[in-house]
Amino acid sequence: MQEQKGSSSPSISTLSIVQMNDVSASYDSKNYVLKNVQMSITRGANYAIVGQSGSGKSTLLRLINGMMNPSRGKIMVDYKIPNTSDKKFKSFMHKIGYIPQNLGLIKNSTVLENVLIGALPRVSGFNSFFKKFCDLEIDNAKKILKQVGLQGKAERQVYMLSGGEKRRVAIARALVQKPEIILADEIVSELDHVTAREIMDVLAKAQATMKLTAIMVHHDLQLALEYADRVAVIKEGEKILEIGVEGDRIVDFQSGNFTQREILEMFSNESKE
Amino acid sequence: MNQKNNLIIGLIIAGVVVMSVNVDADPRDFAEGLPNIGIMLQEITEVDSSLFVTAFWSMLETIEMAFIGTVVGVAIALPLSLLAARNLNNKFVYVPVRALLAAIRTFPSILWAILFVIIVGLGPFAGVLAIIMYTVGFIAKLQYEAIEAIDADPMDAVGAIGVSKLQLIRFVVLPESASHLLSQILYIFDYNIRQTSILGLVGAGGIGFYIINYIKFFEYGKAAVFMLVVLATVLIIEWVSVRVRDKYIVKSQRGMQVKS
Repeated sequence: MQEQKGSSSPSISTLSIVQMNDVSASYDSKNYVLKNVQMSITRGANYAIVGQSGSGKSTLLRLINGMMNPSRGKIMVDYKIPNTSDKKFKSFMHKIGYIPQNLGLIKNSTVLENVLIGALPRVSGFNSFFKKFCDLEIDNAKKILKQVGLQGKAERQVYMLSGGEKRRVAIARALVQKPEIILADEIVSELDHVTAREIMDVLAKAQATMKLTAIMVHHDLQLALEYADRVAVIKEGEKILEIGVEGDRIVDFQSGNFTQREILEMFSNESKE
Repeated sequence: MNQKNNLIIGLIIAGVVVMSVNVDADPRDFAEGLPNIGIMLQEITEVDSSLFVTAFWSMLETIEMAFIGTVVGVAIALPLSLLAARNLNNKFVYVPVRALLAAIRTFPSILWAILFVIIVGLGPFAGVLAIIMYTVGFIAKLQYEAIEAIDADPMDAVGAIGVSKLQLIRFVVLPESASHLLSQILYIFDYNIRQTSILGLVGAGGIGFYIINYIKFFEYGKAAVFMLVVLATVLIIEWVSVRVRDKYIVKSQRGMQVKS
């Protein structure tokens, strides 16, 4: 973690915003939740990570935003090593919108207050203590609320919202950060089919217009393939596939060893487990 | 119910019996003393209604003391609870703060009152200071426990933005623990009124001064006036706090249970 500089090893692609080399991670130093993961995510990509629960996909997101450190291997995010105590990375954290699985909203605050949390890095300590935001920030927050389909709901208390609306609030909070990366952890897993797609459409639109890199963890491969350019499949902490849709066929980018039928079969087995 | 549980319950009961003998707590004394209640009740019914005005003003003084003590105590307790929370500080901060709070809690309010009577003299001010100390020790502990029990998700999500600790406190910790704090403030205010009522025992002001003196001189009828006023006040406070609770706490907690 100390080697901030001199990190220009040749394997790191200049195009990638997230680069993982042989990354392993564990919570108790015995059982690895991630094993030797290689991952390269291009700037501006819509990247998905899919796997069963407990496969280590949430851990991957926490490694990217520095909330967790790898036990082995090397991660570079925007050419920096994710480390929350490092000043350089900390200022990049302002640019990472993180939506955890349970969204992490403040239930007793209003929608607008929740969304303005995303603007906190741009507000001085004194003003934020009195919850004073300049008109520019409030206008911007309201604009983003409109963008995610929450116009007219700025003053609602969050605990009164529906599941779909809560997810829109979390997305708005992340977008107010003016992020370069959005990390979303199973943001639509608990939603019905229609609402899930509405939420995914909101994210996809924001990702395209604001030129973000989106890294999303999903449970559902079908949904992931529908929205993402690339899908990494994680099984028991190992990345077993990296696939994407080209035209109407599924392509295996990692090894090229699997045919479309094999991949789909693999998954029909997975979901039966 | 298994054997082990039976054994534990048996041991607890045996403990109560042995300890009762040890501290001279004899139920027979209670039975023999029962007729005294009759005498007392009879004297209480001879209420001296001319004292109600005095009782009202001394109750007002008591409420004022409790109010000041609660407000100032909570104001001091809140920053201390933030410093004592293990999820916000490292151990070089929270260990000394917790030790300080534990030391404050060692004394019941009546002992604080005696101490402050010695320091600032007889009168309500000593009582107010005692209430402040008690409130600080009590609220700070309950509040740091509430802060530690805050949902980890909002802390995680907002912490990942890289905001400062003060911003995290202002936007996550305070709102997430606010309903808890309100509930504790209502409870401690209620409790402070009751305990301020007895601080008069040691000369620290409030209605207890009259109660203890009339009881000392066996004037139960006069003491009863003051106790009735205390009772009425406590009931009113109870009623008000239930209303506040319904409006601000129950509602938001029901909201929390709503799952997507």
